[in-house]
Amino acid sequence: MLTCGVDIGSRSIEIVLFDGAAVVETTVANSGSSPVENAKKAFSDTLSSAGVRREEVAKVVATGYGRNYFKEADTVSSEILCHAKGVSYLFPTACTVIDIGGQDSKMISLDTNGRVSNFVMNDRCAAGTGKFIEMVSLMLDVPLDSMGVVTEVSNEVCEISSMCAVFAESEIIGLTQSGTAVDVVLRGVFRSVAKRTLAMSGKVGLTADVVFTGGVARNAGVVRAIEHETGLKLLVPPEPQITGALGAAIIAASKA
Amino acid sequence: MFLEVDLVRDAKRHGKGVVGIYCEFTPRELILAANALPVCLCGANNRTIPPAETVLPSNLCPLIKSSFGYILTNRCPFYMVLDLVVAETTCDGKKKMYELIAEKKPVHVLELTQKVDEQEAFDHWLAEVRKLRKRLEQTFNRTITDDDLREAIRMMNKERGLLKEAFELGKEEPAVLTGKELSDIRYRVAGVAGHLKMLDEFISEAKRRKETGRFAAKAGAPRIMLTGCPTAQGTTKLIEVIEECGAVVVAQETCSGLKPLDLMVDEDGDPLEAIARKYFKLPCSCMTPNTGRTELIERLAREFRVNAVIDLVWQACHTYNVESYLIDKFVREKLGIPYMKIETDYSDSDRERLKVRVQTLVEML
Ligand code: SF4
Ligand code: SF4
Repeated sequence: MLTCGVDIGSRSIEIVLFDGAAVVETTVANSGSSPVENAKKAFSDTLSSAGVRREEVAKVVATGYGRNYFKEADTVSSEILCHAKGVSYLFPTACTVIDIGGQDSKMISLDTNGRVSNFVMNDRCAAGTGKFIEMVSLMLDVPLDSMGVVTEVSNEVCEISSMCAVFAESEIIGLTQSGTAVDVVLRGVFRSVAKRTLAMSGKVGLTADVVFTGGVARNAGVVRAIEHETGLKLLVPPEPQITGALGAAIIAASKA
Repeated sequence: MFLEVDLVRDAKRHGKGVVGIYCEFTPRELILAANALPVCLCGANNRTIPPAETVLPSNLCPLIKSSFGYILTNRCPFYMVLDLVVAETTCDGKKKMYELIAEKKPVHVLELTQKVDEQEAFDHWLAEVRKLRKRLEQTFNRTITDDDLREAIRMMNKERGLLKEAFELGKEEPAVLTGKELSDIRYRVAGVAGHLKMLDEFISEAKRRKETGRFAAKAGAPRIMLTGCPTAQGTTKLIEVIEECGAVVVAQETCSGLKPLDLMVDEDGDPLEAIARKYFKLPCSCMTPNTGRTELIERLAREFRVNAVIDLVWQACHTYNVESYLIDKFVREKLGIPYMKIETDYSDSDRERLKVRVQTLVEML
């Protein structure tokens, strides 16, 4: 039996086709200006590249900010539950999930059955999210994909103290103008993202194993910064951005 | 339905006094006994916030900003006909706002002592209530007799009793009323016979629903208790979001719900002391320690069989925000049910984001 999870986020869309035990096909697309339209297209692309007809998909669950507008879906589920589900499928021993997406970040604690026992979300402010890192990438002219490598070379770090993305921007400009090396500034940025994220752990705790998901988990620099701040080794799924869609597909399977 | 505005203007024309109030600590009985109408002034509109921010700092709770914005822009229809504003020293923001209102209208502030468990604190509050009686007598040039007070007490107890009866219909399972419907039954003017009649009809209608099996929520819909800051009409965003997510708000432990309805004024004994006693026991986060709130939450959780508690904190409301730590612990550890705090303001911009949180909680139940 096939099911499908569709995660329509603010920055990207992820689709996972699932056969009840394993992932069959995945698609990642940009949300762009018409996320629901783009999700529809990504959905049919996924089916055709897997050679599957629509009728063969027993159930579709949508999640993410666009979930309520995606008409192909049979039901919707909250992205927090989907992330948790995806994580406990990939890492059965996970107790905490850190998720940093394009527009928000969350921390979820899981009980011994892999169910959500508590969660906190930051969605009021861009600092500490993927959006902020994207902005820094443009400002410093370092492509997102190379950020991890660029920051690998040393441990030297600078202080970025602004709590707000707009002020952090001028702080970064000041730092580069005063001659601070780009990799040092970047490590400063990653450390501030790490600290902002970990500020949420007061509410949910930080019990190992800790899994890091969402688009930002692909950035090795941020992974290192969080590991450094916590002293814990993070588990990162091979495709961290699809965890929500994967969870949605698994939830779909359990409901089909 | 008779409009509150018309009613107040009519009363004014017939020589009745009009007294503006902002808080559930205001002893309405005293105002009624002075042959005046106690009227809740406006403070539930996002649109009056920007004008307020030209004077007040922006990091104040929306309730304070909106209230002040109404006054600044002269948009509160009751404010214009007021004889007096009666206020209390509750939270700092409100307390200081009253000083600004006092530049424009006569304001009488009662000093609310905040250590609920101490006799000295109560004695002082009683003295403050006594002073209010005098102030009202002066303002309206009449004597308030104990019999006037007793009559007002009976009237307000009747009103509270009916409101309570309505809110207690939330105990029905499946729910016969939504939280949103219940939020709409409050009336801004206290002690109005027409309102009591309306409440009576509302209650019978709700009972008819039960008999005919017309329920307000699906059987098995998660039952939520709302606690925290008040949600006056027009600021029920969170209640709407909760109900759009498929749950139903069955109990409201807030000043716009059951919190002020829990206790009646004792009809025997010294009427002034009885009035002071009832109001002093209101479990507001401005009191310390506010153990009455956890006791009320515990009782309501049991009686209304709630599955989770959602705590509403208006942005920059420090007292409810800090207290939420204790409520969180109490709900999870003592009651053993999920708890969630929502911090928001009057704007609609975060509706979708609130839905993510609430839907997660609802699906978890
Ligand atoms: S919450 Fe406290 S300050 Fe606010 S209306 Fe109620 S009693 Fe007054
Ligand atoms: S909500 Fe909080 S800050 Fe606002 S008026 Fe009431 S007690 Fe004061």
